[in-house]
Amino acid sequence: MTVEYVDAGEAIDQARLSGKVAGGDVAPPVVRGVDYERIRNAASEPQNWLTYYGAYNGQRYSPLDQINTENVKRLGPAWIFQAGMTGLIAGASTYSFEAAPIVVDGVMFLSGWDGWVWALDAKTGTEIWRYKHAVPFDVSLCCGNVNRGVAVAAGKVFFVTANAHVLALDATTGKRVWDKTYGDVRAGESATVAPLVVKNKVIVGSSGGEFGVRGHLDAFDLETGEHQWRCYTVPKPGEPGSETWPADGEAWARGGANCRVTGTFDPETNLLYVGTGNPAPDFDGAVREGDNLYTDSIIAVDVDAGQIRWHYQCTPHDVWDYDSIGECILFESDGRKLLGHFDKNGYFFVVDRTDGALVQITPFVDRIDWGAITRDGKVTPRRYPDKEGDPVHFWPGPAGAKEWTHAAYSPKTGLFYVPVQDVGATATRRRREFKESIPYWGAGVAVDLEDMTGSVSAFDANGDEKWRWRNELPMCASVLATGGDLVFAGEPSGEFNALDARTGDLLWQFQCGSGHHSSPTTYMVDGRQYVAVPVGWGGWAEGFLPGMLGAGHGSALIVFALPE
Amino acid sequence: MTTLHERAELLSKLGLDVQNKAALGQVLGTGRIEQATETAGGRMRATIRIRPDEISWDPSILVMPHGGDIELELINDDLNTHCALLPSNGDRKFIWLVNHSKGRATLNLDGPGYYWFSSPTGNDEGRGLTGAIVVLGEVPPEARLDRPDQPRP
Repeated sequence: MTVEYVDAGEAIDQARLSGKVAGGDVAPPVVRGVDYERIRNAASEPQNWLTYYGAYNGQRYSPLDQINTENVKRLGPAWIFQAGMTGLIAGASTYSFEAAPIVVDGVMFLSGWDGWVWALDAKTGTEIWRYKHAVPFDVSLCCGNVNRGVAVAAGKVFFVTANAHVLALDATTGKRVWDKTYGDVRAGESATVAPLVVKNKVIVGSSGGEFGVRGHLDAFDLETGEHQWRCYTVPKPGEPGSETWPADGEAWARGGANCRVTGTFDPETNLLYVGTGNPAPDFDGAVREGDNLYTDSIIAVDVDAGQIRWHYQCTPHDVWDYDSIGECILFESDGRKLLGHFDKNGYFFVVDRTDGALVQITPFVDRIDWGAITRDGKVTPRRYPDKEGDPVHFWPGPAGAKEWTHAAYSPKTGLFYVPVQDVGATATRRRREFKESIPYWGAGVAVDLEDMTGSVSAFDANGDEKWRWRNELPMCASVLATGGDLVFAGEPSGEFNALDARTGDLLWQFQCGSGHHSSPTTYMVDGRQYVAVPVGWGGWAEGFLPGMLGAGHGSALIVFALPE
Repeated sequence: MTTLHERAELLSKLGLDVQNKAALGQVLGTGRIEQATETAGGRMRATIRIRPDEISWDPSILVMPHGGDIELELINDDLNTHCALLPSNGDRKFIWLVNHSKGRATLNLDGPGYYWFSSPTGNDEGRGLTGAIVVLGEVPPEARLDRPDQPRP
């Protein structure tokens, strides 16, 4: 006798099994009114953190001052969001919680790793909705399963996925509005960047610089997802800059220069300022003779045309993996429109952001021996992998004196605050044949396990160091500056610190239980200031701090406030 | 060199085709592989079973010819309760599969690449109820790099 099967029905969204109450999975339409003008004037609504850096200028500064040097010692956790990790995911051992939480009128929008996006009640931490993109387990990731955040505008939440899609979600429901593929996973491309909304465009960059790809920025229409422009950061033969690549062969086609970190924007110059990544192969320069533009450069891109207007190359013909993907902080000094950039190569560059003219260069880390850059910008390489099989040690290592994690600038103090990694590495050149999707480094690399240090260092615009808060371990997380004269900085060992922005004195500390590798933000709801920090050690730890490869991985967003 | 037939024989001989013989469960990836069917209209379909006492998805590797939507029929012929957590764009899909039950799931996957699915109850995932969905194909032409064709492995 045949027994009929029990009808198990239709599989449901897993989020329905997460304790949501009816109607509780719809966010208020706070993003509907977020447009270019509001983002452009983000400083006028400091209760919100509207865009990746808080404002187009990339300063990571909030004028909020409820939490200040006098009362910060009373700061404590207000709520914690535990994302957790289940199942087999890409980079299961290397995921990291790297995002910068976005907040609009009491609603937080946050990305995790592996295609997660959440809308949370910014006052209570209650999950409103979640979106989970299915990310292939075998996607090529050089540096962990990570994502640096979302952008919001026009009622939508924009984010990228590890398999190089850019999506728009309905900000009230988390449902997909449009989805575009902008990278080739079979070529080793991926995506980790937090998008930037400018005018009617959402702008994203590609990852994959360790796989011999050709870097690019892309712009899509906010409403429709229609592709607006693509800006390649390595020129084709015949294009300006192509003379910096070998005339024969296809080195340019594998040249790198990825834009994996969000750019900044000046509405007056109409230029995006973006740092580009390393050339490929990272350490084998002999197969790509020349300066290799526009790798390791600050590029200024016309946001309407998608064309490079000027560039400043920080490390010509890089053979140390010194991406210039670090943020380009826009500020004014003596009536000049300037741009500050802390590079992986250990130097702090200030350039005129109207034309890229060099203003000053200063080292911001103690140990630099890969080469030297004079104050007028002349670069002299000294120690680099050159002969096949010959190990060469150099400082800073390939993660740089500062990785992608961000510095901050306080217009109140006139100081830049930079998280510093003082750690070296040994690279041994090992030439390999290029094949799509296979790492294309051209060397074996081992980052030092000992003899390392770190700091949060404060510099003025002239490059003069004003104070230094020293740490035994390199500092590998973005810092946040506030109007309360505080600088927040997380440590690899889990401590979240508040420093006095004027002296560098440690005023407050909280052990978060996992190392920091994210971008904390601050906001206010109902008159109460909060500081939010994603905590989840991971990413390319073997590059920036292999001495902490054995540390526990976390996956929590911790939000702090003063007692009510 | 091991042929397909020899592989099945060797798995059986070693006791790797059932639970609690060689290993405690069934080693991942030791089950069958099958391709999804596709209608002229482009709809992809497949049936995935859990056979009695095998603690493995059958097929344990399902191959989709390209990205898009796929309709799955999920059958639990086992004498214990399991479930399925499946990858899909938007949210993962979950379904309980009590003994002798049959359910459905519709997934949307990009590809190219492969994805894991499992039964997240007890240690079903470690015992063998972790399977893979492989999506073949290329990214859309507009997403490819503007460069000459490059060598692949």
